[in-house]
Amino acid sequence: MIERLARQISFFAPAAVMSAWGVVMLHTIASGHIKDLLSPMFRSYVLAASLLLFALSIVYLVLYQPVQESAPALAPAGRLRQLGRWIMLLLPVVLAAALSPSALGNKTLQNRSSFDPTTGVTPMPSMGSTSQADVKAALAADPNQPVPVEVTDLVTISQTPAQIQSFEGRKVNVVGFIVNEGGRTKLVRWIMWCCAADAVPVSIELSGNTAGDWKDTQWLQITGTAHFPSTLGHVTPHVDVDTIQPVKEPDEPYLSP
Amino acid sequence: MVSRFSFGATRPAFSDNLLTVFFAAFDLPTAPASAGISWPDVALSFFAIVMEGAPFLLLGAIVSGLVDVFLPAGLIKDWLPRSKTQGIFAALGAGLIFPLCECGAMPIVQRLIRKGVPPAVATTYMLAAPALNPLAMFSTWLAFRNQDPWLMVLLRFGFSLAVLIFIGFWLARLRPDQMLRAETITGSPRQARELSPNPGLVLTPRPGLSLGGLQQFTGAVIRDFTGVLLFLVIGAAVAAIFSTGFNRNLLAPIGQSAFLGPLAGILLAQLLCLCSTTDAFIIAAFAPFSVPAKIAFLVAGPIIDLKLYWLYRSAYQARFVHALWFRALVATFLLTLLYSLQP
Repeated sequence: MIERLARQISFFAPAAVMSAWGVVMLHTIASGHIKDLLSPMFRSYVLAASLLLFALSIVYLVLYQPVQESAPALAPAGRLRQLGRWIMLLLPVVLAAALSPSALGNKTLQNRSSFDPTTGVTPMPSMGSTSQADVKAALAADPNQPVPVEVTDLVTISQTPAQIQSFEGRKVNVVGFIVNEGGRTKLVRWIMWCCAADAVPVSIELSGNTAGDWKDTQWLQITGTAHFPSTLGHVTPHVDVDTIQPVKEPDEPYLSP
Repeated sequence: MVSRFSFGATRPAFSDNLLTVFFAAFDLPTAPASAGISWPDVALSFFAIVMEGAPFLLLGAIVSGLVDVFLPAGLIKDWLPRSKTQGIFAALGAGLIFPLCECGAMPIVQRLIRKGVPPAVATTYMLAAPALNPLAMFSTWLAFRNQDPWLMVLLRFGFSLAVLIFIGFWLARLRPDQMLRAETITGSPRQARELSPNPGLVLTPRPGLSLGGLQQFTGAVIRDFTGVLLFLVIGAAVAAIFSTGFNRNLLAPIGQSAFLGPLAGILLAQLLCLCSTTDAFIIAAFAPFSVPAKIAFLVAGPIIDLKLYWLYRSAYQARFVHALWFRALVATFLLTLLYSLQP
């Protein structure tokens, strides 16, 4: 009886594990949690993989059956080892799906910030053409109106003297989450290339009217004047804040180049 | 941006204490303290890595299944050069032409070995595909386009090639039983258990549903996918802990040192476990590192890191993987140190 039960569990295990991974993937997509994990280009791969895993589970159950007479099931120790193997495939991913938060927290932000002993500002990695196009659009916008820009746009501008000259003193509108670090107030966004494991924070500094009961990592929209002060050759993008107000987390919490 | 769970603990990590002693010994500026580790963030990073890696692993398993069904073993042997040295260079050339990510490579390489490709050649291809592929070089150019991009591409490619040739010649001297796990080595004739999609049971086609090629294909895909997935899960867990909890600024004070900079680059690559098409963007932004430290990071990471260590263990013996790890890191260190010490 136990032998038969063990054989049945062992037979259904691959289909159960593959289906569970398929369910986790589909749920992650349907719930929108996928936006917290992967950059847009990888999301369709997860959908395709989930459908393939369901298909493989069905094909496995339809095509195969355990050999009953000629080959005995594994010995008890081997059976336990196999069971442990299937549990190892199942449990961590289900737990991670259930327990993973919607965004990386403050400790990880500190651990992943690049440290520049001169300015403490994260240098901007070279971005793709999207960011350059955004910057061009920002530079061409009406100078009398606040220009909606991303944190990354201001950091990109700070790396080119000609663009600094064109943008210095412009009114801007920026969304990000606030972090107070070593007496300085920063507006931060995570940028992600592939997945949350490679995400790095990029920040600008805030001054002026930043008063308010803001919690660390709270999402805010600020309107103010962009400046690019230079210390020992290092330019720090900076916004002198006029107004500041809480906003909902953006639909895409990470910026992807 | 609020975590749904808040059971993260802040306590000085062992690595902090060790590094403090290290910095004091070399009279280096003190590194900033680690912020501690947030376990919910580890869960998020782990989940992100497996969600990113699993589709590529499945793709690799499908290609492996197609190779199993449609590629006759004799054909691959006919394609390959007879001499081992030429085989190594052919594998390096294939790595240049056929881009393959680390996760997808494992099932394909195991299948190629079972089809009769010499393990030294298949392993060289597995190491070369992520390290030398054109996408990795293009992303390096893009990431460093404000910081002498052609020099970075040239150094990355040249040093990676040199390290891979060194490893390739070492691999050519090894016997398959010195490299591979017993179950990876080709059994001839093939055993029923090897053909089964479930390693715990011997399975048979249902009566009236013997579909030959389709059955062989699905069996290979399921077995390869679930077989390597376990190692991806373990590797992702290790990578998530270090990429989340290790404060990369701890290595900043030694990043500009001529001798210790390359070591710092290699160590960071081992801990962050990034894909070869992404790593350049991360390290390009890391101002405290010198060029040799960045190159060491870019050369060592795609060949082996803490995640790849576990993926390699799905096919290779632990002793072999340790020897590969040691050789890859020492070769990377010596090359980047030579570059670092040039006048």
